[in-house]
Amino acid sequence: MSYAILTDVTKCIGCLKCVAACKETNHLKDDVPRVWQNTDGLSAENWTSIISKPDKHYIRKQCRHCLEPACASACPVGALHKTDSGAVIYDSEKCLGCRYCMMACPYGIPRYDWNKTVPYVKKCMLCYDKLKKGKQPACTDICHEGATIFGERNDLIKLALQRLKENPGKYITKVWGEHEVGGTSVLYLSDVDLGFLSYKTHLGNEPLPSTTEPAMESIPYAFLGMGGAMLGLNWIIKRRMKLNKTNGKNMEASHE
Amino acid sequence: MNRVQNTKMILWLIVGFAAAIGLNRFIFGLGATTNLTDKTPWGLWIGFDVMGGVALAAGGFVMTAIFYIIKREEFYPFVKPAVLTAFLGYMAVVFGLIFDLGLPWNIWHMIVFWNPSSPLFEVGWCVMLYSVVLLLEFSPVALEKHKRFAAAKNFLVKYRFLFVLLGIMLSTLHQSSLGSLFLIMQYKLHPLWYSEILPINFFLSAIALGLMMVSFESLASHWLYKRKAETNLLAKLGKIAVWVLLVYLIVKMVDIFLAGEASLIFNGSFESNLFITEMLISAIIPILLLGSRGIRNTNTGQWIASSLVVIGMVFNRLNVGGVTMLSVTGDSYVPSWMEVSISLGVVSSAILVFLFVIENFNVWNLRPVDPQAQPDTLPSFDYSSHAWLGVPNVASITKYSLAFIFAFSFGMAVIPAKQLHSKGILEIEVNRASGKEILFINGNRDDNLVSFPHEEHINRVGKENCNKCHHYVLPNYKSSNCWECHSSMYQRVDFFKHDWHSSASGANLKCFDCHMRGVTKNSSSAKQCTDCHPSYNFSEASGCGFEKYFTYSYADAMHNLCVTCHTEKSKELVDAKNLSLCSTCHKIEPPESIALNLNWQTTKSRFNNVVLPVTENIEED
Repeated sequence: MSYAILTDVTKCIGCLKCVAACKETNHLKDDVPRVWQNTDGLSAENWTSIISKPDKHYIRKQCRHCLEPACASACPVGALHKTDSGAVIYDSEKCLGCRYCMMACPYGIPRYDWNKTVPYVKKCMLCYDKLKKGKQPACTDICHEGATIFGERNDLIKLALQRLKENPGKYITKVWGEHEVGGTSVLYLSDVDLGFLSYKTHLGNEPLPSTTEPAMESIPYAFLGMGGAMLGLNWIIKRRMKLNKTNGKNMEASHE
Repeated sequence: MNRVQNTKMILWLIVGFAAAIGLNRFIFGLGATTNLTDKTPWGLWIGFDVMGGVALAAGGFVMTAIFYIIKREEFYPFVKPAVLTAFLGYMAVVFGLIFDLGLPWNIWHMIVFWNPSSPLFEVGWCVMLYSVVLLLEFSPVALEKHKRFAAAKNFLVKYRFLFVLLGIMLSTLHQSSLGSLFLIMQYKLHPLWYSEILPINFFLSAIALGLMMVSFESLASHWLYKRKAETNLLAKLGKIAVWVLLVYLIVKMVDIFLAGEASLIFNGSFESNLFITEMLISAIIPILLLGSRGIRNTNTGQWIASSLVVIGMVFNRLNVGGVTMLSVTGDSYVPSWMEVSISLGVVSSAILVFLFVIENFNVWNLRPVDPQAQPDTLPSFDYSSHAWLGVPNVASITKYSLAFIFAFSFGMAVIPAKQLHSKGILEIEVNRASGKEILFINGNRDDNLVSFPHEEHINRVGKENCNKCHHYVLPNYKSSNCWECHSSMYQRVDFFKHDWHSSASGANLKCFDCHMRGVTKNSSSAKQCTDCHPSYNFSEASGCGFEKYFTYSYADAMHNLCVTCHTEKSKELVDAKNLSLCSTCHKIEPPESIALNLNWQTTKSRFNNVVLPVTENIEED
């Protein structure tokens, strides 16, 4: 059962109720503008935000819960991992604070408690506690407009494709997140370009963990290969030195 | 005071200063110390201390490979110092990492919790193992001081070849894996630096840097201790480095050409200039210098070439580590002076330990004392000599301690109090343009600029009545939103927010913190607002329309202006449905000089985007 969220940008009225519900459920404190904050509204105390764009477009930004998350592949201690339910969750007990997940995320989602002495990484966890109890996340639960809905990923993709079919011309004909970086569990239907949600406007379909895989897989070969090469080189050089010596002796002997 | 003591004094001053700042980092967190942001989570400490540090320590594995594997025995004088430099380099990396990690006390988690798909996991393990191997490689030098350790020393010497081999294998892995770290940042790193063979680039540049770092270290120690320079050996080292640098340069360029990114090199952008500078410093000029026999054999030539490679390769690590991502993330990260001082402190402490070890252990047994040097400037560690050694040893320890204490207290004194307490809270700088007729403010907090005639408003309400707009809670640089208190359109409402005051996430007050005991709990038996918030202004003069704890309705507070405006302005063909946005009416474009200085992003498409085309129907009316 892999759950997902589908956000329909054309339906959102920007009432920020999802943001408020998220704060309440996750016990997040009031947000104060900080010097290290990104302008997208996400912060350690704000796990989802509404970005307003020209002509009354409101786009909700949150963790995309990639099917093959770059953050989880990057974390050296496996503090982040993708659960079967679809949520990418964070285990603060394991974290050592290297912030490689923040560097790796193509959407720039994970945020940090920069102001705290004991800081943690903060991001949307798809209300994992609620999912386990069979409930839906707070943000989709509260949305009265049906702009952001919760369901199984395959069902939502079907629904999205159906909407695209039924309303030709209303949307950009693409389910955002269906294939991007290997697919994400947070999908968007939109009539504006959502390229601004990621660092590069158009991400490829290749999952990001696959970029490091070849390098990681070749490690044993590099390790043993270098060892072998060094031993071989050493053997050749030693032998050559020995031969030189004996040659030298022979030469000396012949001279004598 | 001789040259050594002067240098040490300076290093101790830096270490003392950095110690104060480092304490500050652990007490108040990363936000109060660094300029790191959510967009740039890795800064100078990763780019310089960790990535630069590991690369600078490459001399250890390069020299051991040349000496023990390839058997170029003429390089023996370099081996011990190179292994020592490498070991201290790795210790400095770990030390620097302690400052950078958010939860440094969890650093051992890397041993327990495994994630083999992470390059950082691999780097972490390799660094741990390699540090141990380096310690084993170097410890014979330390053990030979006392005879009772002879057995241990002999054991280590016996298996030294194995350690050396293991060290080379581990170095190959993590020097290249530091490059693999950035493979996953495909969308952030600039294409001139991003490449699928980033690990190979890192490995090749580490070998070149290792060679040149050995030569830099040798030259610097010779200068410091006035010993005879090993010019001929360094020239041989330079000859090897030329070939490595050439391979590095060719691999890098061929890779860029094959990827079709060659045009990016000369397109005049910030990154292209950065790239050209980096290649010139780190490879091209050193190749030319070391390639010519005349320059290679001179002391000056060696100085220049090795410094260029050291600076250039560290520059490369900084570029990969974040500088070239700034244009993609749109951040403007410049390390804070605190970050810089901690980085310098880490390097200085490593140098101090290095100097301590070479003064007390037999690292330089093959380096002859320069006969030209004056006996009274000889280093004080030369115990065998009976010449006067300058200032006695004890006195210098006192001096170093004093330097440390002085610098530490100076560091404590210069930590800005604001940095500690502000916790990074961003002041919305409306007053940046004060004095001008019109301020451009983020009035609706929606990043649309609003032209606000501040002077005109001051003249209208009078200079003494600032609090008419800047109400009761916020300081003068912010004005509170009307609806925060006037939360109902037509009703008088309680603005006190009892729930917020009593809830744990709010003010977290208990009943009897405010209410008197034994009396019915109501507003008259409770404390007044001003008892806790003396700066609040509830007087009539504030013009906010408060009556005890009740506010006027929004419509009342706005002097019933809603309808007036909506009817009036809709005639003027202003987009009626956007009348709640200040910028609907106030739409003077800010001059570019102001727009560029503002913190939030403004583009013409986003500014005043609500203007609709003129409709004919209304015009006829």
